Amino acid sequence: MKKPRRLLNSILFLLLFIVIGLPFVPLVLSSVSFGWQWPNVLPESFSFRVWEYVLAGSSGTWSAVGVSLLIAFIVTAVNILLAVPAANALVRYSLRGKWLIEAIVFAPIIIPPFVAVMGIHLTFLRLGLTETIFGVVLAHISPTLPYMVRAIMISYNTLSVDWENQARMLGAGPISRFAHVVLPHLLPGIAAGASLSVLISLSQYLITFIIGSGQVVTLPILLFPFISGGDPAVASAYSLLYAGIAIMALVGMDIALKKYYQNKKIATGKG
Amino acid sequence: MWQKTKPYLLLLPAIGTIVLLFFGGLFDGLLKSLGYFPAIGETRFEVTAYTDLFRSSEFWESLVLTGRVAALSSVIAAVLGAVIAVSLFMLNESAKSGGAQLWHRLFQLPLTIPHLVGGYIVVLLFMQSGFLSKILASAGLIDEIRDFPVLVNDPFGWGIILTYAWKEAPFVSLMIYPVLSRIHRSWRDVARIFGAGSWNFIREIVLPVMVPAWTIATFIVFVFTFSAFEVPFLLGVTYPSMLPVFSYQLYTSGTLADRPEALAVNIILAALTILLGLVVYYFSKRWNVLKGWD
Repeated sequence: MKKPRRLLNSILFLLLFIVIGLPFVPLVLSSVSFGWQWPNVLPESFSFRVWEYVLAGSSGTWSAVGVSLLIAFIVTAVNILLAVPAANALVRYSLRGKWLIEAIVFAPIIIPPFVAVMGIHLTFLRLGLTETIFGVVLAHISPTLPYMVRAIMISYNTLSVDWENQARMLGAGPISRFAHVVLPHLLPGIAAGASLSVLISLSQYLITFIIGSGQVVTLPILLFPFISGGDPAVASAYSLLYAGIAIMALVGMDIALKKYYQNKKIATGKG
Repeated sequence: MWQKTKPYLLLLPAIGTIVLLFFGGLFDGLLKSLGYFPAIGETRFEVTAYTDLFRSSEFWESLVLTGRVAALSSVIAAVLGAVIAVSLFMLNESAKSGGAQLWHRLFQLPLTIPHLVGGYIVVLLFMQSGFLSKILASAGLIDEIRDFPVLVNDPFGWGIILTYAWKEAPFVSLMIYPVLSRIHRSWRDVARIFGAGSWNFIREIVLPVMVPAWTIATFIVFVFTFSAFEVPFLLGVTYPSMLPVFSYQLYTSGTLADRPEALAVNIILAALTILLGLVVYYFSKRWNVLKGWD
């Protein structure tokens, strides 16, 4: 019994190293290298000059990070407002033409969003929405909204109407019913949807580029010239920063949610 | 009356937004691909953009390349994803600890990495003077940079395939794993009583159970790779280019005359993905993939 497990563990370790570990090694090495000629497996000398450049105020990194996060959070907030009532209707009511409604809501998952963005580009141009953060936010909504609706629908599926009826019997109005019964139950779904929404918004390059016309500088827009033939050290540092921010946004959401439930537990424990 | 219209009112904001921003964009693109563009005085419908496309060899080469890259990346991602999922499942079977959970998390990492970064990782690893080439040279297996095959910005699309295989393998394993975790522990014991080793167990029980979810996951990866832009833009060559890049090249080429053609490429791409999407939907409903079995 012991033997196959050890074999399995070592296979997994090898896989983990090749698939997850190895790809990041040159990225990290390159970002701290100072000259890295071909047959050397390690850079000749190390320096943090690139990180100093990337993290310094003058390189525009932080404004790009700010713009990226601002867009991602506005998009996510709008998505939550649109998706909660929609998910409610899709799960709890029998609708006529439900398949059509679902097809419309989930279409942007299958049809590539840049098709719609390229189509609407000239109209946005005429309306003065290009080169603005607002225009980019509008462009980011359709690729992210379906995932938010999907995630909240899963939460609604497990929420029984009885709980709300019970609250109604105890005299809770529609607002306090929503705030105290429905919302806490939906929260994990909202958090999952928000993580996806932030992640997808952060990783958009083409539609940001088309609508922002290079004037709305998000991280991917800032990064692209470097990775397509610029200084590899700068490109590596930006790549690490970009990936780090995406991962941190996810982990942050996860921790916030866990904390919420911990506080809740303590509160109900005391009560 | 209120009870009847209420759900539709609840849906209105979301549906309205998607119809306006997404389907509006599709429709706008469709009209312009047909040459209907009142702002510059074009109000006639014509299909020249489409006939020109169908006559150009560039379009067909681009379509073939797109199909080939999507097929190869989804198959490699499928195999790699299945290896990860089955290994994790077997680990979970033999160990009671929460270790498998941590493993699972670690293997999800590529999913959270943005596509551009994934593409750049492949550049650093696989370019002719890249990390692997350096390792092989230090080991004495190759003598010159030229001995390392061209895997990045190559006409076949290997760099794109490698990136998507890496990015999407965790997605495939994420889709299979929940199905596998429904295999009851007692099945393993029964299999052992009948003399089945680990390998037999995998072949006779684990594989058949995961096939429906596996096929659907692979197909989703195919559809996604078929229409993605960032990675082929970074790792491809100018000619032949994958369909989304081809469309972008036409759109930004500078002449207004190419724009209907670019939008026509988009409409064809959208039609193809809708078709593929319907196939996925049909089979996932039929096999009841997302719910598993009863």
